[in-house]
Amino acid sequence: MIDALNISKRYGKTLANDNISLTAAAGEMTVLLGPNGAGKSTLIKSVCGLLRFEGGVTIGGFDNHTVDAKRLLGYVPEFPALYPMLTVFEHLEFIAKAYRLSEWRADAEGLLRQFELWDKADKLGKELSKGMQQKVSVCCALLPRPKAVIMDEPLVGLDPHGIRELKAAMRDLKSGGRALLVSTHMIESVEGDWDTTYILNGGKVAAVCRREGLPPGKTLEDIYFSITEGDSTGGGNSTDKADSTGEGGEGV
Amino acid sequence: MTALFYIVRKSVKNSLKELLRKPGKLALYLLALAVIAGVIVMSFFPSLRASASAPLFWFTGILFLYIVLFVVLAVVKGMSGGDAIFEMSDVNLLFVSPVDPRRILVYGVARMAKSAFFAGFFILFQANSLANFGIRYGGVLLTLAGFVLSVVVLLILSLLIYSATNGRPGRKRLVKLLAALPFLPLAVFAAASYLQTRDVLAAAEAAIQSPFLTFIPVAGWTAAGVSAFLSGATGAGLLYFGANLLLGIGLIVYLLFSNPDYYEDVLVATETAYEKKRALSEGNLSAATAPASGRRVRVKGTGIPFYGAAALFGKHARENFRENRFGFLTLPSALIAAGAILLTLFVRELWLAMQILMWMQIFLIGTGRGLKETYSHYIYMIPETSFRKILWSNMEIVARTLLESALIFGISGALLKSDAVYILVCAAAYTLFSLLLLGVNYVFMRFTGADISAGLLLFIYCIAVLLVMAPGVVLAVVIGSAVGGDIGFLTGLLVLCGWELAAGLVCFALSGGVLHHCDMPVFRTNK
Repeated sequence: MIDALNISKRYGKTLANDNISLTAAAGEMTVLLGPNGAGKSTLIKSVCGLLRFEGGVTIGGFDNHTVDAKRLLGYVPEFPALYPMLTVFEHLEFIAKAYRLSEWRADAEGLLRQFELWDKADKLGKELSKGMQQKVSVCCALLPRPKAVIMDEPLVGLDPHGIRELKAAMRDLKSGGRALLVSTHMIESVEGDWDTTYILNGGKVAAVCRREGLPPGKTLEDIYFSITEGDSTGGGNSTDKADSTGEGGEGV
Repeated sequence: MTALFYIVRKSVKNSLKELLRKPGKLALYLLALAVIAGVIVMSFFPSLRASASAPLFWFTGILFLYIVLFVVLAVVKGMSGGDAIFEMSDVNLLFVSPVDPRRILVYGVARMAKSAFFAGFFILFQANSLANFGIRYGGVLLTLAGFVLSVVVLLILSLLIYSATNGRPGRKRLVKLLAALPFLPLAVFAAASYLQTRDVLAAAEAAIQSPFLTFIPVAGWTAAGVSAFLSGATGAGLLYFGANLLLGIGLIVYLLFSNPDYYEDVLVATETAYEKKRALSEGNLSAATAPASGRRVRVKGTGIPFYGAAALFGKHARENFRENRFGFLTLPSALIAAGAILLTLFVRELWLAMQILMWMQIFLIGTGRGLKETYSHYIYMIPETSFRKILWSNMEIVARTLLESALIFGISGALLKSDAVYILVCAAAYTLFSLLLLGVNYVFMRFTGADISAGLLLFIYCIAVLLVMAPGVVLAVVIGSAVGGDIGFLTGLLVLCGWELAAGLVCFALSGGVLHHCDMPVFRTNK
């Protein structure tokens, strides 16, 4: 569903993404892991068409800048950016109207109830806490029922209920055949649901892991630390060359 | 004190090092230094006398009103959250350190003096306008000094007001009353003068020249002090400047001895300023530029009209009408309109007011919601073409400019009994100039990819606007002069309108697909 090919992004002299290729398949959760400054957010913004880059990105076979691709894509940014003078419900109405959705009200109410925002529907964006803003941001991304959802650190700032509901929503999206691309620092938050993980380091894909390819007794966390901290005991066969997905980097 | 000196020394050193790594920023600073040096050097040439075409008391009045604006802001800020004189890093590192709070306060105020200087820096560029009042380059520097002094005093006043009124509604009412009180004698005198003469200008002149103005702390003292220096009354000038200085020192001393535990009082303002900076750097420009007032917004009508890209305009309309009662005409634009109408009455010429408004519009165009929209992801993600999204997201500023034009030129033209065609042409020139400015902004985004520092961008943008407008102005003057007379003047303005429209459309054509060819801009705050 999401295919990125040879993405490179440069900020002045800094190469934030160095020839990265990535695939997020329908019905799967693809995770981006990496230390601060690894280039995860830059990659996500490039895939969403918010940055210029070298290389190509397609969403459902359409170039990511086309209207068709945008119709298929939902995006939860790292920092929620709400409009201070719109109410919570108006944020969803704005998305519904801008995406020309029909019969959206029931979906909007369902999302707001799921994320415990229904009683805040008439609150202005500026009156919400950071966590609530994040929840509204998630609702806005999910309302158009996108085929591919990209989330950048979606759990940061959420309360325990919000985390539980968002994790449930991610599982629902996955089981509903959506492609999920999630960037996170919290390995444990995706431990139970990930299918493919790209470990980024220094702007490059350091390793690509498939859940079924994990060595017995090893967790994603073990692999992560073996790659980013060079722990030879954690990675098992992490020195294997690129796996069958062909994204470059080491395969596990 | 060693710790504070260390911070200052290291901050200055690291800022200089950073400048060397950023040639664009370095060029801006060098330009600023060159302007200051230029003004100082020019002030040593008394032969470069400005020829006064307007009496000095009008300058006194303008300076007084300008500082009154800062007085109002200081009082309002003081009653909401105080003024930010510290950074969050000061709160986190200095406030918890064993450094004397009194010394930290002096450090904060001293640093604010630097900010106040930069806030008043634009005064140096007003040398030409001030020359009309017979003010030379030395006078320009003096005006800047008076402005900086009053802004610093007002910062401390704001802090003191917050300290005294925080959580005490009764005291807030008292402060409002006390703040208005010094202005009362002047207002009564101005009203009485008007009733006597039935002439607004004569009443204003009498009020400005009355001693009641000089009784008003900060605003009156600064205006009277600068004017006294300019007219050679050095003793009186020193007296008024000294009064301001004493007030500032008195406020600091009072603050230190009455409340050495002032940390809580500065925390709200510091955190608010920090949150705004953070919102800016996270791309949440709408939140960062939203009014910080504690005014409770009543949500009455709800809903977003229109579909597709037009929903952007629907959203802007909802936001505007919710944010202020004038709808598309925001409070700043209503104030500008009122000021422009007054100015037109003074200069008695529509086109002069139009010219000043156009200069202001170069900087104010960025306040439109359309350009702000490019700082968050929504506009990029909406499944519509880039052209439609740009078009509809800028309808709000088009509506605002049309309303401003109708108000300013309609009312001023009617008061001056100007010809209807002349009024329409002036309004068209102003509105089309806004279109051109939008076009230039998007061309910049398209070709720089929005990957350029804000200061440098503003500098190049101003030069670009001047370059784009220059041929149109030359063409207008040449054709207007060739035709001659009133008809020639109107023809010249029409030519200018045509140029603005054509250049604007070319800019929009060049910026095609801008939302697909730029990085979502991030406001660099240098925090």
